[in-house]
Amino acid sequence: MIKTPLCELLGIEYPIFQGGMAWVADASLASAVSNGGGLGLIAAMNANADWLRKEIQKAKTLTDKPFGVNIMLMSPYAEEVAQLVIDEGVQVVTTGAGNPSQYMSRWLDAGIKVIPVVPSTGIAKRVARSGAVAVIAEGSESGGHVGELTTMALLPQVCDAVDIPVIAAGGIADGRGIAAALMLGAVGVQLGTRFLVAQECSIHQNYKDKILHARDIDTMTTGKRLGHPVRALKTNFSRELSKMEYDSTISNEEIEAFGAGALRLAAVDGDEKNGCFMAGQIAAIVNKEQPAAEIIKEMFSQAEAVLGGAGKWIR
Amino acid sequence: MIFEKTAKILADYRDMDIAEITMETKFEDIGLDSLDMVDVVMMLEEEFDVEIEIQERIKTVSDLVSLIESLKK
Repeated sequence: MIKTPLCELLGIEYPIFQGGMAWVADASLASAVSNGGGLGLIAAMNANADWLRKEIQKAKTLTDKPFGVNIMLMSPYAEEVAQLVIDEGVQVVTTGAGNPSQYMSRWLDAGIKVIPVVPSTGIAKRVARSGAVAVIAEGSESGGHVGELTTMALLPQVCDAVDIPVIAAGGIADGRGIAAALMLGAVGVQLGTRFLVAQECSIHQNYKDKILHARDIDTMTTGKRLGHPVRALKTNFSRELSKMEYDSTISNEEIEAFGAGALRLAAVDGDEKNGCFMAGQIAAIVNKEQPAAEIIKEMFSQAEAVLGGAGKWIR
Repeated sequence: MIFEKTAKILADYRDMDIAEITMETKFEDIGLDSLDMVDVVMMLEEEFDVEIEIQERIKTVSDLVSLIESLKK
């Protein structure tokens, strides 16, 4: 059995989170991951409190295990969803795309465990100071919005920078990745791409098929010019977006407009032409649609074997 | 005094001449992104012994200096 302080901290069996992916991480996926012994997350994304309340209440009927909500701080509804998680008694909140400090004291007073995603040691230190119980160090191998540093480089530096538990994200999709993350100092992992193909994940089958068939070189980042790069599968959409970025006659607003709504088209409609299929670099090793619980179990038994065998290099 | 110290920290951070930093200097113009700002703010917190909340509206040296002034009171 792999047990880390994260299991005790959150009351979970396996030290694994399912990433709070917009248009993907709903009550169905989150509850399946929680039932499988990990921590499922519902993505608040750009949705309002009504939508999120329904998902939270649905998840409560599907699992009696802890689950969390990921709050995208740039969302126009950030304020109302920040209050909703308090009203609904959500136990864990992860945050992305911004600085959670303005909500921090309210969440802490409500007994919520706040775990921000951090792209640098500076931000890790700041959120630790303001009361985060752990941080998620997410490297640029991840799908979706990414920072500059890779998991391999970021993770040990964040572990050195803070005294709270660190969860590794970006580039992990099997037991080897989990073992490596633990060796770099993490006490848990967060996976997105692998859970895209969980049976309980409600995204369009086209999206799942693209992940299942992706190769190592099939992702690219776009949006660097806008200051928020996004990693997604190479499709006509992302190639076109990339071309627009290099064209100085096209304004940033036009590029923003071109990209707006593209993730929804991918996840909900499976639109292969105009959709933005966000995925991590590790998508290539994701080859099987399975129940979330099976994914978790399989990865941790592999991680255990890898860690158990690591002594072979020591003479 | 707050401006001088802030300018020195910024100049050291960006490895540029302190004379180039004025109250009107925008962080964006001297190549500081949001991650850089977090590190700069931490240095300023140490220098002035205050806790600075990073806010979107802080875009120039002048914004930052007035914020620190208000915190020092």
